[in-house]
Parts: sequence; structure tokens; C-alpha cells
Amino acid sequence: MKPHPDAAANPPPDPDDVDDDGIGGVHIKYLLHCPRQLWLYSHGYRPEARNEAVAFGEVVDDTTYRRHHDIDLGAAKIDWVTRGAVVHETKSSRQPSPQHEAQVRHYCLLLARRGVNVRGGVVHYPLIRRTTRVAWDDTARRAAETAEAQARQVSAAATPPPRLPRASCRGCSYRDYCWGDS
Amino acid sequence: MSASGQSYWLTEPCRIRREDNSIRIERADRTPVRIPITDIRDLVVFDNADINTAAVSLLSRHRITVHLLDHYGNYAGALTPAEDMSSAHVVRAQVTLTADPVARLAVARALVGATAANVAWALDTDLLAGPLERLPAQVRACADAEELMGIEGNFRRTAWGVLDTLLPPWLRLGGRSRRPPSNAGNAFISYLNAITYARVLTAIRCTPLHPAIGFLHADSDRRRNTLALDLAEPFKPLLAERLLRRAAAQRTLTAADFVSDVRSASLSTAGRKKVSIMVREELATTVHHRQLKRKVSYEELIHLEALKLVRLCLEGTPYKPFRPWW
Ligand code: SF4
Repeated sequence: MKPHPDAAANPPPDPDDVDDDGIGGVHIKYLLHCPRQLWLYSHGYRPEARNEAVAFGEVVDDTTYRRHHDIDLGAAKIDWVTRGAVVHETKSSRQPSPQHEAQVRHYCLLLARRGVNVRGGVVHYPLIRRTTRVAWDDTARRAAETAEAQARQVSAAATPPPRLPRASCRGCSYRDYCWGDS
Repeated sequence: MSASGQSYWLTEPCRIRREDNSIRIERADRTPVRIPITDIRDLVVFDNADINTAAVSLLSRHRITVHLLDHYGNYAGALTPAEDMSSAHVVRAQVTLTADPVARLAVARALVGATAANVAWALDTDLLAGPLERLPAQVRACADAEELMGIEGNFRRTAWGVLDTLLPPWLRLGGRSRRPPSNAGNAFISYLNAITYARVLTAIRCTPLHPAIGFLHADSDRRRNTLALDLAEPFKPLLAERLLRRAAAQRTLTAADFVSDVRSASLSTAGRKKVSIMVREELATTVHHRQLKRKVSYEELIHLEALKLVRLCLEGTPYKPFRPWW
């Protein structure tokens, strides 16, 4: 998606001026899925790092916004429309989830901090041909800030949170780590 | 496994080149094989290879290690990715643990105990029951890793003596010799140990651990990845001793699969091919994992073993080395 001329006319401030403490969309997603996963991820255990790196490279190649604005939003894309920006996040999941919305809200927060006029977000589920709108207002902003503070707290803890009940671990890429000690 | 792709074993002399996003393997008198880079987990090179910069940089960018075995099956070295997955936090914990004599000795003792038990299991014999029974007390009496290595060495020597009684004369070790291996049996063990080490090294590289910071092996030797040497220990009997016995029992290998002279022996090209097939089949063997509630291959067991050490570093979970439970 190409940046709208509006975006060029109104460049966001230098991202280095904004302190996000390195909490990104992935951190928020993991926080809501399993705090332990977030802790492990932020302490350097990333079983999917290799695959993610590859996938991210492809996204960067076919979008131009990153080069223009230096805002690293991971896999999300941004539509620049008149008087604002809309964050788009595509999920291969068949199951819409509050985690996905929270992730988009976090991207909105990062953009808003950089002075971008954010209009909201959309989560796309191509496999089930559905989209979910994510509002961006005061309530949403507070929710995003709370999630970010929680993520920071979990990451900074000296010890990892306990495992979830096994059934909740299904499909988690951290299972070999959490349950593989025989 | 965590990292995608599979291992490719190059048993013949070849050239390794890049073609777009694939690696092209060229062998004499054969059509070249192209493997998409994302399908490769690592390469194990058994014979001479000629590789150029374009291929190296593609492999490196995708974090793929090329393991090189020399003519005698010793681990000759590797082309390693310029960047690895290690994380500062985990490596700091690893350094702290290995610098703490108590923590370090706990891991080293566990490794020696498990390895000995695995040797006895692999040989499937009662002849090691006595030495195995005496081992825990000896291990407890050790004050440092060096003494432990001595104990392990003694036990292994006894075990190799026992192994010889289960082998036909031409495959007997007659004492372990390494550089170069003095006979067919020793050559076989050298190859299998080097392969095990390569598998462990690849597994460690898929974790945030640093392969050069180990617990049992002395880290004075800068050329060696001591953590990989450590983690290879409990798996060597599973692959080396056990496959040697099997090769003897099933007559998979013959004297003609080795090139021997008075003082040294190595696998012939045909022998290398046979061995690589044996190992690949063995690594793909699966067992039911009780905790994960699914089947895991031996190769995955090595990966799970590396993850246990990540748990030790991140959470202080005591390390219980692998022992066959089947
Ligand atoms: S395997 Fe379970 S406990 Fe471990 S990170 Fe995943 S969800 Fe959390």
C-alpha cells in the first residue's frame, strides 16, 4: 500500500524521540495469549525467529511506508487516508480474537505517539473472509496503555510466569520448551 | 524442529553453488541438484567440497551451518553463519552458571551419570552392571570437571572392552584411537561421534545458547564448542556404539567398506554412503514422548535436550540429561 500524499506533507516526528520501551505488537499478542510466552520471548527465546525474519523481509519488500517513516510495525500495514491513518493487520487464523484487536490497538498507540492522526484499525481474516474494525478513541487508548504497562511488567520480572494449563498450550510454538522436559 | 528444513548429507565430492534462492549441488557425472534455501536446515559434508562466496553468503544469511568431516570422520570444522540466534540474556546466564563451581559440577555429574547409563543401555548387556553400580559414588567424590572426565574415560574404556566381545574380530576396537583411527571399528566410532556432534551443534544453534560455553569439557581448547561436546555425550552411545553393534549383527558393513592400512582406517566412499543412510534412518526413528504426548524423532530429542539447558539458564530448572525411556 502506498503512502498517501497527506502523509508526506505531514511527516511524523523522529521515532527516536518516542520511548516505547521496545514493546511491540508481538509482545502484546503474547501477553494476552500467555504471559509466560511473553517473558520467554523478551528474554531471548524465540523458536520462530527464523521464520518470522523471513516473513518480515517479504512484507518490507512490498511496502514502502517503512522506508518513508521509519516506523517498525512488524507485519502491520498502514493506509494513509485524508485526515488520518488506518492500521491493517492480516491474520491467517480462522478465529477472530481479542489478541488481534489488542495488537492493532498497540500499533495505533505507537503511531499516535509519533504524532500521526490515527483513525482506527482493521483486522483482516482472509481465510474466513471477515474483517474486524478496531476503534481508536480514549477508551481504546487507555486499554492500549494498560496492556503496554502490563507487558513491560511481565518482561521485567525476574522469573517467568507459570505454564498455562496444558490444554491452552495447543498450537503454541513454545510447547517443546515448556513441556519437553521428560 | 524449531528451524525449518532438513539436513542434507553430501557423501561424494561436490561443488556447492548458489542459484537464485537455491543451493545447487554439482557432482561428477550427475545432473545438479537444486535445493531451495528454505528447505535446508544444515549440510553435512563427508567428502571434498568446493564452495564459493555466493553460496556461503546465501547459507549464512539463512543461518545454515555447513559441517565438514575430514577423511577419517573427525569433525574438521564448519562454515558457520555470521550471525546466530544467541541472546545476551541467555548467554549471560550460561556464563554465570558455568562460572559457578557448584552449578557447573551438578550439570557435569548428571552428564557423566547419564552417559554411562546410556552406554550400558546401548550395549544391552549385564557386563557393565558392576562398573555402573560403582559410578554414582565415584561421581559424587569428584571435585571438578577434570576428575569427572577421568571417571568417564575409565568407564568408557571398560565399556569398549565389553563392546569388543560383541563384535567380529575385524570390527573390534582394541582400545580407542582417534587421530587417525587405527582400525575399522575406531573409524566407525569416529564418524558417528563427529556426526552426533554436528547434530548437537545444529540443535544448539537453533536456541539462544552459545555453543562454546560448556559444563563438562574443559574450555581451555578454544577451537572447540564445549557445550556441543557436552550435549553430544549422552547421545553418542545411542548412535555410535549402538549402530556399530547393529552393523555387526546385521552385517550391514563389510571390511570392504573401509580403507585400511597398518596404522589407520577410514570409510570408503561406499562405506560413507552406507553409514550416512544408517544415521539418517536412525535420526528419523521416533518414540512416544510422554510429556509432549506425541512422537518425536531422535533428531528432535537432541533439540529438546538443548532446550533443557535453555530452561536451566532462564529458569534454573535442574538439568536431567537424556536417557532412553523405551
Ligand atoms: S506452551 Fe503453554 S505455557 Fe508455554 S508459552 Fe505456550 S501457552 Fe504458555
